[in-house]
Amino acid sequence: MNGAARRLARALAILAGAAAAAPAWAADPEAVRQKVQACVACHGEAGNSTNPGVPSLARQPSLFMQWQLLMFRDGRRKDPQMSPVAANLSDADIADLAAYFAAQKPAAAALAPDPAKAEAGLKAARTNHCLSCHGANLMGADQIPRIAGQHLEYVRTQLRLYRARTRADLDGQMTSAAQALTDENIENLAHFVATFPPQ
Amino acid sequence: MRHVLRLNPARPGMTALMAAAFTTVAFAQAQAPAGPPSYVQGRSTDQENSPLKPHAPPPTAKPGKEIPLAKVKLPAGFKIELWAEGIPNARSLALGTKGTVFVSTRLRSEVYAVVDLGGSREVKTIAKGLDTPNGLAFRNGALYVGALNRILRYDDIENRLDNPPEPKVVIDTLPTDRPHGWKFLSVGPDGWIYFNIGAPCNICVPPYTHAQIVRLHPESGTLETYALGVRNSVGMDFHPVTKELWFTDNGRDWLGDNAPSDELNRAPQAGLHFGYPYCHQGDTLDPELGKHRRCGEFTKPVVKLGAHVAALGMRFYDGKMFPAEYRNNIFVAEHGSWNRTQKSGYNVTRVSFGPNGDAKAEVFLGGILESEGFWGRPVDLLVMRDGSLLVSDDWNGAIYRVSYEK
Repeated sequence: MNGAARRLARALAILAGAAAAAPAWAADPEAVRQKVQACVACHGEAGNSTNPGVPSLARQPSLFMQWQLLMFRDGRRKDPQMSPVAANLSDADIADLAAYFAAQKPAAAALAPDPAKAEAGLKAARTNHCLSCHGANLMGADQIPRIAGQHLEYVRTQLRLYRARTRADLDGQMTSAAQALTDENIENLAHFVATFPPQ
Repeated sequence: MRHVLRLNPARPGMTALMAAAFTTVAFAQAQAPAGPPSYVQGRSTDQENSPLKPHAPPPTAKPGKEIPLAKVKLPAGFKIELWAEGIPNARSLALGTKGTVFVSTRLRSEVYAVVDLGGSREVKTIAKGLDTPNGLAFRNGALYVGALNRILRYDDIENRLDNPPEPKVVIDTLPTDRPHGWKFLSVGPDGWIYFNIGAPCNICVPPYTHAQIVRLHPESGTLETYALGVRNSVGMDFHPVTKELWFTDNGRDWLGDNAPSDELNRAPQAGLHFGYPYCHQGDTLDPELGKHRRCGEFTKPVVKLGAHVAALGMRFYDGKMFPAEYRNNIFVAEHGSWNRTQKSGYNVTRVSFGPNGDAKAEVFLGGILESEGFWGRPVDLLVMRDGSLLVSDDWNGAIYRVSYEK
């Protein structure tokens, strides 16, 4: 084998390795693109939402996305827009969509921080154990969502729902974490989170 | 560290009338105390930044051909095979009179029936939309399902797998706390259904309704406390000869990698106290709540199974397939650790007894935990009528069968 052939063989081997390691959705990108169309209509291109009431999905951990879609599908989590969409998802759809959005790059935070609110929010985040699960960079992991740069209005609404014990909660951790929050805590936390730059 | 106990968390805007109504139904409405998420509760100051957190399983099942069962290690003569797949979040197991294997879920909402067709198994969904339906028991032709705060009964279920009946509510006034709110059900030799009401926290002085094993008389509806001081038992069985209750109990978190041990306990009579939250593993006082107490007050475990191994399902081996020395041994499914820097557990442990009754615990089924992590999590066990042993795995959504041939 000459040098060029060896280089070609090595390149092919690398490509084959990359294909084997790629997530399942890469197997049929066109099919995934079609599935994603229904999502990005509300959640924004690549899952970067421009609607303050609709969460951004880019770089949400795959496991978190899978459980949320499953809970929308089985009716534990309800939303007038999401429930009908999720009702017909197959397990494969859920895996594909979760893998797609986990791989997208998050847009910069839409909101500029108000230093006083952001500082009060950081303090509340520390007191209420937010960073324990969501991480110091607020990017989440596994079953825990990225909240860095998430829309303020969406975060505020969800925290209130958790406090009221009406937001579907996989393991009860967020419901219990939200019980101690005052309205002021929620405003400051939502501001802190929404203005925190995602990675 | 502070331990707040509040049965009725005050809520903004609650009127006096609402508060009064709330108090009268406190048992059904008891909620976890406001405060930290349960899994970080009980951390010391120097553990505040620990990256350890519970492992959530995937919500869907792994295709059976992708489960690396060839990595499983068993004693000579034993083999493991994939018995059923496509059972997302497969948890507790129960065996029907006609051989149906019922499978529960905890984080999903379904209950499944697996029918053995000889060469293959068919999985049927017999219930869905349930809240945390982890507990299962089969009695007099009916399947009992223990959900978060209630127990349901599906009559004549084995004749109606394709058209399951509407369930009858056996009890619906159990606590609604999510931390340790999932149930494990077991039918006692007395016909009562035994189950856990776990502590609604990692470590706290539990409400008097919690941290127990209770028993329910299915016909009269009478509920009794059977064992006290049990943090959370997700596995119990009755000795084939003595008929005594044995059970696993999961030790508290955040006392370090090597303490305290999960327990295998024996409750030969009602009313024994097994130590939680004051004394752990029979010999270690809780650093805070154990002050002013003595471990001598409480019943000690028979076996210390290891710290954080998450001992869940346990069954006596009363089958005839395995070698004679396995007779009346105990198998324990270890779900595997999260609250430990070096992972441990993820095995099925065998507990055997010497001539003096001395218990010995050793790994029976290993190979799931590897240096880079784990690929499965044993939850529950079931001794089949042919003497083989089923193992459920909620990580892969599958059930394995362990058999023996000389």
